Amino acid sequence: MDAKNANLAAEQEFIITRTFNALRLKVWQAWTEREQLMQWFGPKGFTMSYAKLDLRPGGVFHYGLRSANGQEMWGKWAFREIVAPKKLVLVSSFSDAQGGTIPATIIDNWPLEILSTTTFEERDGKTTVTLRWAPLNATEVQYQTFTKMHDSMRQGWGGTFEQLEAYLGKS
Amino acid sequence: MLRDHLSTTFSALADPTRRAILARLTSGETSVSELAAPFEMTAPAITKHLKVLEQAGLITRSRQAQWRPCQLNAAPLHEAADFIEHYRQFWEQSFDRLDAYLKTMQPPPITQKIPIAKKISPAYKEKKNGRKKR
Repeated sequence: MDAKNANLAAEQEFIITRTFNALRLKVWQAWTEREQLMQWFGPKGFTMSYAKLDLRPGGVFHYGLRSANGQEMWGKWAFREIVAPKKLVLVSSFSDAQGGTIPATIIDNWPLEILSTTTFEERDGKTTVTLRWAPLNATEVQYQTFTKMHDSMRQGWGGTFEQLEAYLGKS
Repeated sequence: MLRDHLSTTFSALADPTRRAILARLTSGETSVSELAAPFEMTAPAITKHLKVLEQAGLITRSRQAQWRPCQLNAAPLHEAADFIEHYRQFWEQSFDRLDAYLKTMQPPPITQKIPIAKKISPAYKEKKNGRKKR
């Protein structure tokens, strides 16, 4: 990868972070043990209805989430690198109930696979988790959809979003 | 046709001029020359942006009046905003749930005292290192 492509990759990477008031080992275990993942992974109102976890490089975490009104969401993580309790590298994708990779259902041109790197850093008894996402093996169009969508999230459409948001609130 | 809209909407919104045009249109229908006024751009350049917005369904241009006023169409914006919100919430809410879950797991005070002792007392550190060597 030359310098220009490295920059491009960095630009297309998306990062979110959160600090938890817990020791690193606890957070790591909550992230990598099936019973614990089932307690928290997924948006509010969703419960994990299915979970199969094989934590090793080449192994897969296949999960199904279900909301109270019956909405279903299937996904999987294919583990690449596991450095307990510091780092987790995996390929994240949407899936069907059988574990096959499927494209995103509500948006076109979304990358099929996202490379996700999660790091766990402990300081003064607290643990900061950083998630980095970048499209994997994506076409140019898929890269663009991913980047534009994340730009929208990051910049809130550059200030004009507030105006549009106020307008959307009215309409 | 939600999924057809989304990637087109994100493309249209990726440009700052087009976002500014949309923001301007929130206050009502406007002519092309009025829209062009704040930008250092030629009318054809503005028209190009309007075409992108029109194709994405974000604006409509009236054919009745000769000055063809532009109007904002909020529906695709709603869809894009909903999608972003949905996507953001997946992790935000998972983090909230993990935070709550970890609190139920946390054994209180004892674990907190050790790092403080390490910091304020170099003697503790030496003692600890000494112990390690043996």
